[in-house]
Amino acid sequence: MSDGLFDQFKHWYEKRHEYAREWKLRTGGQVVATMCTYTPEELLIAAGMLPVRVLGAHEPQNVTEPHIFGMFCPFCRDSLAQGLLGRFDYADGVTLTQSCIQYRQAFNSWRMHVPTVQWDYYLPMPNEVQSSHARAAHYAEVQSFRSFLETLTGNKLSDEKLHEAIAVVDENRRLLRELFEYRKETDPKVTGVEALYASLTAQFVDKREHNEALKKVLAALPKRKLNRPEGIRFMTIGSENDDVAFMSMVESVGSTIVIDDQCSGTRYFWNESKKDADPIKAIADRYCDRPACPTKDYPSHTRFDHVLGLAKEFNARAAIFLQQKFCDPHEGDYPDLKRHLEENGIPTLFLEFDITNPIGPFRIRVEAFLETLTEDELF
Amino acid sequence: MNAEVKAAVAPEKKEFWRWQENTWFDESRNWRDGSIVTCGIDVGSVSSQAVLVVDGELYGYNSMRTGNNSPDSAKNALQGIMDKIGMKLEDIDYVVGTGYGRVNVPFAHKAITEIACHARGANYMGGNQVRTILDMGGQDCKAIHCDDKGKVTNFLMNDKCAAGTGRGMEVISDLMQIPIAELGPRSFEVDEEPEAVSSVCVVFAKSEALALLKAGYTKNKVIAAYCQAMAERVVSLLERIGVEEGFFITGGIAKNPGVVRRIEKLLGIKALDTKIDSQIAGALGAALFGHTLMQKQGAKKAA
Repeated sequence: MSDGLFDQFKHWYEKRHEYAREWKLRTGGQVVATMCTYTPEELLIAAGMLPVRVLGAHEPQNVTEPHIFGMFCPFCRDSLAQGLLGRFDYADGVTLTQSCIQYRQAFNSWRMHVPTVQWDYYLPMPNEVQSSHARAAHYAEVQSFRSFLETLTGNKLSDEKLHEAIAVVDENRRLLRELFEYRKETDPKVTGVEALYASLTAQFVDKREHNEALKKVLAALPKRKLNRPEGIRFMTIGSENDDVAFMSMVESVGSTIVIDDQCSGTRYFWNESKKDADPIKAIADRYCDRPACPTKDYPSHTRFDHVLGLAKEFNARAAIFLQQKFCDPHEGDYPDLKRHLEENGIPTLFLEFDITNPIGPFRIRVEAFLETLTEDELF
Repeated sequence: MNAEVKAAVAPEKKEFWRWQENTWFDESRNWRDGSIVTCGIDVGSVSSQAVLVVDGELYGYNSMRTGNNSPDSAKNALQGIMDKIGMKLEDIDYVVGTGYGRVNVPFAHKAITEIACHARGANYMGGNQVRTILDMGGQDCKAIHCDDKGKVTNFLMNDKCAAGTGRGMEVISDLMQIPIAELGPRSFEVDEEPEAVSSVCVVFAKSEALALLKAGYTKNKVIAAYCQAMAERVVSLLERIGVEEGFFITGGIAKNPGVVRRIEKLLGIKALDTKIDSQIAGALGAALFGHTLMQKQGAKKAA
């Protein structure tokens, strides 16, 4: 039986559009639809805005075909659909920081065809963050974004305001990591679904409010006891994932999801910014340093050891790849990453995700995978 | 004048797709002499099987079409064999459910996925040299690797589509108006082996088959083209996981030599033979698991 500890996050997740509308009424601030977690939210927050990450709705839709191809990943199509269907009609602006080319085209369609959006900004972050020129280039881009926001609002984005925003966002990252620490324990005090609610809502709720909610949860956690069997400890790997129905199913058949490498989870918040007197440098470097998305992970593949490290640190017994169909960057990494994990004792299961997903057939695969890991009493 | 208007009578529609439901039991033994009786019930999307295992050996089974709900299909499948041998539910020590409806088998002690059960069943049917299993079911198809005990080591399933599955073959059977059991043999009665139809999609294959007939293909040649397409589709699934020696096919399509021979040709490997009905592999595996569990932990009588 749930003790309701994560109900606030669940409520925010389910009512995210209502939350943003209410926030706008309450504060009079601008809401900005952000695409991709490389968006330097610190600048938007310093400008008094609410960054709201665009997520899909996992519903069948028929509005994106005139704009982007059907073989763009489901997250691209679902994100664009939300804009075209007017679900983000409260958003004043939309911004994308470069990651993959398909999502950029989804963003371009957004800015051309979502009439309620008043302004848009494309931040061309270097994909080769390992290049010796990347930091200087990204510094300049973040600085340009700052100028853009200053012109847009007519207000100066002072270093002081930026430092304040960095402190708020870093606190959020720190609290989320504290929360995730509890998942290392045997019989974790936080389930994968709960952790997902917490990390996802951080991406569209006012960080100050989110921080307060996290503190409440963290204060209650030491005494929390979840009366559920731990089962097999899983890691999830992939791009964006907010499929709560899938996560719940996995955790209902004899497992606990203890860690992830996804941009809806750890990749979003894992590292804080390093102290620097120049806030733009602190921000720009932080995004170059974060756990890489496959689009920003070359020539050397830093992800592979990072993912394996997480699996070991959180004592994951096995991993599930949540592969968004047609997501080329992740599909490109998959064969080598799978081999890397399996050679190091982490068996893997590959599942291909679409806008809507067949929970029944997925359940068979997950249960069969669990049986390969557990059912020795059958032989 | 009394004009008698006769009600129009629809011509009886033949159901060519209808495969043989069947029941079998080992007449050389009496289940009452055994000490552990276990049952596996596989409620699949198209067919349901109940298999009885007595002291770890196959004793009897019943295979029939799945009805419109899983609990009834499970009950009917089991009742069919129990009636033949005078067994009651309380005579069974352990019941394992498997297949799509595995969690809806009302009297099951445990549910195990059909992937694990097919591997275990294939291990019994084909012997412990079985390493690669192709399960061609009613609406999906699976490639499974297992070890010498029949424990799954890796598997793959087709996605979201019934192409290359039993249901597809049923549709072709109806379309060609040829009983399903004859499709395989007739697919070899062709002057030359045709190209595979380009689509194995159950819906599109139908229109493609009609187009081929129009273009002058004989029925046999159309069937051959469809069998070839189905073989190519499942071989691509198998190749993703890799094929090891000790290849075994389970599920209804294993009875169709038109597909099996073509798979073997594409792979360059012969499938292992068995005398046991390939459709019961899942339920047989479930019953064998039941036997092991019964030996290890015991169970209450099914009730």
